[in-house]
Amino acid sequence: MSTATASADNGNGVMTLENLAKFPEGQKVYSCMQCGTCAATCPYGEDSEFPPRQIITMLQAGLIEEVFKSSSLLNCVACYACMAKCPRGIRLTEVLLPLVKEQVFAHMTDVPAELQKALQNTLRYGNPMGESPRKRALWTKTSPVPVPVLAEIKRPVDVLWFVECYTSYHPRGQDNSRATAKLFHAAGVDFAILGNEEKCAGECARLLGEKGLFDTLTDYNMKLLRKYPFKRIVTGAAHAYDAFKYQFPAVGFDFELHHTTPFFAQHLDKLKPRLTKKLNYAITYHDSCCLGRHNGFYDEPRALLQAIPGVKLVEMTHTGVNSICCGGGGGGMWLDTYYAAKGYERLSERRVKEALDTGADVLAVSCPYEISRFEDALKVQGGDKRMVVRDVVELLAEALED
Amino acid sequence: MVNIKGTEQPRIGVYICHCGHNIAGTIDVAAVAKYAEKLPGVVVSRDYKYMCSDPGQQLIQWDIKGHKLNRIVVASCSPLLHEHTFRNATEKGGINPFYFQMVNIREHNSWVHTDHAAATQKAKAQIHGAVRRVAGHRALETKRVPIHPDVLVVGAGIAGIHAALTLANAGKKVYLVEREPSIGGHMAKFDKTFPTLDCAACILTPKMSQVGNHPNITLWSYSEVVKMDGYVGNYKIAIKRKPRYVNEELCIGCQECVAHCVFKEPKFPDEFNEGLGKRRPVYIPFLQSTPQVVLIDPEVCLNFKRGAKNPDGSPVVSDKCKKTCVEACGENKAISFHQKEEIKEIQVGTVIVTTGFKTFDAKRVPYYGYGKYPNVYTALEVERLVNASGPTSGEVILRDGKKPKTIAIAHCVGSRDENTNRYCSRVCCMYSLKLAHLLKEHTDAEIYNFYIDIRTPGKGFEEFYQSVATEGVHFVRGKIADVYPEAGNTGKLIVQAEDTLLGRVRKLPVDMVVLSVGLEPQADAQDVRRMFNMSCGSEGFFLERHPKLAPVSTFTDGVFIAGACQAPKDIPDTVAQAGAAAAEAMALIDKGHVEQEPNTAFIIEEECSGCKSCIALCPYTAITFDEAKKKAVINEALCKGCGTCVASCPSGSIKQNLFEDEEIFSEIEGVLAQV
Ligand SMILES: Cc1cc2nc3c(=O)[nH]c(=O)nc-3n(C[C@H](O)[C@H](O)[C@H](O)COP(=O)(O)OP(=O)(O)OC[C@H]3O[C@@H](n4cnc5c(N)ncnc54)[C@H](O)[C@@H]3O)c2cc1C
Ligand code: SF4
Ligand code: SF4
Ligand code: SF4
Ligand code: SF4
Repeated sequence: MSTATASADNGNGVMTLENLAKFPEGQKVYSCMQCGTCAATCPYGEDSEFPPRQIITMLQAGLIEEVFKSSSLLNCVACYACMAKCPRGIRLTEVLLPLVKEQVFAHMTDVPAELQKALQNTLRYGNPMGESPRKRALWTKTSPVPVPVLAEIKRPVDVLWFVECYTSYHPRGQDNSRATAKLFHAAGVDFAILGNEEKCAGECARLLGEKGLFDTLTDYNMKLLRKYPFKRIVTGAAHAYDAFKYQFPAVGFDFELHHTTPFFAQHLDKLKPRLTKKLNYAITYHDSCCLGRHNGFYDEPRALLQAIPGVKLVEMTHTGVNSICCGGGGGGMWLDTYYAAKGYERLSERRVKEALDTGADVLAVSCPYEISRFEDALKVQGGDKRMVVRDVVELLAEALED
Repeated sequence: MVNIKGTEQPRIGVYICHCGHNIAGTIDVAAVAKYAEKLPGVVVSRDYKYMCSDPGQQLIQWDIKGHKLNRIVVASCSPLLHEHTFRNATEKGGINPFYFQMVNIREHNSWVHTDHAAATQKAKAQIHGAVRRVAGHRALETKRVPIHPDVLVVGAGIAGIHAALTLANAGKKVYLVEREPSIGGHMAKFDKTFPTLDCAACILTPKMSQVGNHPNITLWSYSEVVKMDGYVGNYKIAIKRKPRYVNEELCIGCQECVAHCVFKEPKFPDEFNEGLGKRRPVYIPFLQSTPQVVLIDPEVCLNFKRGAKNPDGSPVVSDKCKKTCVEACGENKAISFHQKEEIKEIQVGTVIVTTGFKTFDAKRVPYYGYGKYPNVYTALEVERLVNASGPTSGEVILRDGKKPKTIAIAHCVGSRDENTNRYCSRVCCMYSLKLAHLLKEHTDAEIYNFYIDIRTPGKGFEEFYQSVATEGVHFVRGKIADVYPEAGNTGKLIVQAEDTLLGRVRKLPVDMVVLSVGLEPQADAQDVRRMFNMSCGSEGFFLERHPKLAPVSTFTDGVFIAGACQAPKDIPDTVAQAGAAAAEAMALIDKGHVEQEPNTAFIIEEECSGCKSCIALCPYTAITFDEAKKKAVINEALCKGCGTCVASCPSGSIKQNLFEDEEIFSEIEGVLAQV
């Protein structure tokens, strides 16, 4: 997919719903042929009064105010399904929906508390959980290998590893980070992290229409990145990857960028000889929205899993471009209570049901949001005895010779 | 400025066409005419509403006589459209038609610019260039070359069949080359055809057998064109005849060999039935195959060594089989395991390309589940399922052995989609309606057509839509976004789409999904395009010379196209185009000769050093080497005037009519002169 950004300025100012037609990506919105693919593929399509198709009709009919007043857009978990399948190639999730959401929130008097809290935390502490910024790098103390911090080592590095929030603070996220560190070592990569200086990349805030918050965080992180000499940037956080890839270029970001999964797939020749421990698991891989649909990395995670001795890969009904969102994107991470109150099925539960149907032992993921969401959903579905959730990097690290 | 050779001084007439508003709406034509008037050598300069009209052409003729003009410049549209018109007018005025130069101020100017002042300036510069160049034009002569009366038709679907028969019935000799073992193309696979529900076999078979028996048609099935050389009127063609391992002359089509093959049961996927049926190693594709000649598949026949190849690429005969087929063939002695590929060379004057289409590969849209769920079918497979001579004798039995009670038909699969093909495939709405009707007739199932728009813009089409709707077929306005198995192992599939008229997402459990796959260019369209010197449009279909006025011509003279290889189309349109292409070919043949543009290259013999560098470069193999004189020689009849050799000659000893150095340099000087 191309790298259009919602905030691109082409001399016509910043794109808004009013001046859409002045931007090529905006003009495309008007080519909608009302086919309903977006509504039919949307995981909450059935529950939404205004799926993308309807939003476009309302916009064209001059009735968009009605959409602003509805809470329908809160259902959008920014899963990129509508955008990936739209036969007119309209960049719904990237361009149109954030613009509408911005207005929806501006009109909303009762923003769900959980969500409001997460946004406030992100602004105040640089992470949505409200953890202390001074503890961001604390996890490195439990890392099996040394994790250098840029501010301390005072030398250029090859890879700047942008760790992100869940992977810094959440206990299961930290497992991911420890595994990643181990893999960097095994692949002989010279890397370092930003440590406590790092703040949330803010992609989910942006997809919620919180452009102001996103811009503040972008300013901060961009200045920080400029402080240190490094060759390329690698992150395991799929949403941060998206922010860097599609939004940061507008503020001058031009570093070589990788997500850990495809990055390690590129280093497979170095890693493979060291993946000697046999893992006799049947694994089913969940294509995350950002890594899969949005960026097209379908084969890389599977190639990594298949490189592990003993692993048997099985596929779920919905895979690849057709994968089902875990429900955590676009703010969905902090709307579980809200959705539950509305009586919606939790998407993470919908997903683990399919995973359980495969009979696999392991549900493999490659986006840090998914671990906790799927583990929780497995418990609710009573499947936590039959299946565990592991990040691809965790599985690789486990298979490494000691 | 180049001076006219000899004593004659240039007396130039300049004509600026308004082309209605097309040119005059952007360019100040009066100002341009006034400007041209002052250019050296110009005697008259006028602007006129439509130069191509009779009065416009008259104007040129009168001025030539009245003002003793000896050179003409017309600034108007593309030379492609009217160069011929104005050369004629120039000639009628009494001077050589090549004392003329055309300037394109429409396509190259008014149509592509919005700034009127700048466009006017540009027109002046363009005309200045032409005025300078035309002064140096020499008198040239159009050459005539005879045309070979035979025609090659490539691809024997309904388009190729119809074109070949039309020509053959008019007494022309036709070579019809088809790459499959039988002619018939896609139409041969259908049961009924929309909108009239004619039985496809009933209307196609008679034409197929006419082709097979026509004294004027040489039919080469299981063959492909591998090379084309030459030029309009005189094409040299090489055709590869693939081995059938059965002698076409000796086989009487009794199929005794098939019945007696050591394989008691048919075992291998049958291509003609889209893999839904099975065949033996020795087989005939379908009942009405033309020619009625069997063939042997060396990939699976026991008498060949599996996977082994001779140095020439042919399969290795193992002689391990009992060869009951040969026994059964008996006195006819038609089977020949040692048959080899053969190359035929022929000479024709014109070529008609009718290579048709392929259907969209439904696996490219993974969420329709084709290839993953057995009860998801492509429309072409369903054509075979409902066909009385198909693998199930017309009974609609699913891959899981059940008869469907609910069926979803997904329109626009691979069409109207930026992720696959942007264009509308034009026939699939209609064939979806046809299949809905036929499936209903065969199964009495509930049928749901999921569509974005129903497109029925043909004669009798809307009426057909209406009648299918009346039969109780359901129509859901929404594109299917997902197909997946129903929970609880029911064997059913859920199709998920938004019913956009209801504004609700529907999850419909069905037994069968039919994918109305779009039409695409053949996989080898680019190779075929190169072989016949054609162009392809952005979608990959062969490009016609003009979308309205030359729909079956190509940019190569004497090469025509017809049918679905040009764009998706139905049978009536295909047949109409095939007839048109045959008529175009006949128009050339019956004229007896073709006129050749004199813009050919020639070698100044004294200056040629005999280095031969031009010979290999000429794309039309028009240059040979005279060993006696040690000089290169250009065959005027073969030269297309591409200019490659002219630019490449290290000693500058090749020139080209109408593009001589002085002409080009003076044109450049004119264009760059201060306006
Ligand atoms: C499922 C389906 C149902 C349809 N139903 C109808 C209907 O009911 N009514 C209707 O009007 N239209 C129908 N159509 C459209 C119809 O199929 C086309 O209009 C028609 O087949 C076009 O004919 P053609 O000869 O141009 O191409 P084709 O039928 O594709 O024939 C092309 C021939 O050229 C041969 N060929 C290709 N490349 C080469 C080569 N390089 N060298 C030699 N030979 C070559 C092929 O083997 C083939 O025999 C349907 C189409 C589909 C897909
Ligand atoms: S999928 Fe695209 S074209 Fe279809 S209704 Fe939605 S936005 Fe419009
Ligand atoms: S991005 Fe996903 S959740 Fe949002 S509207 Fe599109 S399909 Fe629905
Ligand atoms: S050689 Fe044997 S396998 Fe081949 S067609 Fe004849 S009988 Fe069948
Ligand atoms: S003809 Fe109908 S089914 Fe085919 S692409 Fe066009 S609209 Fe879709």
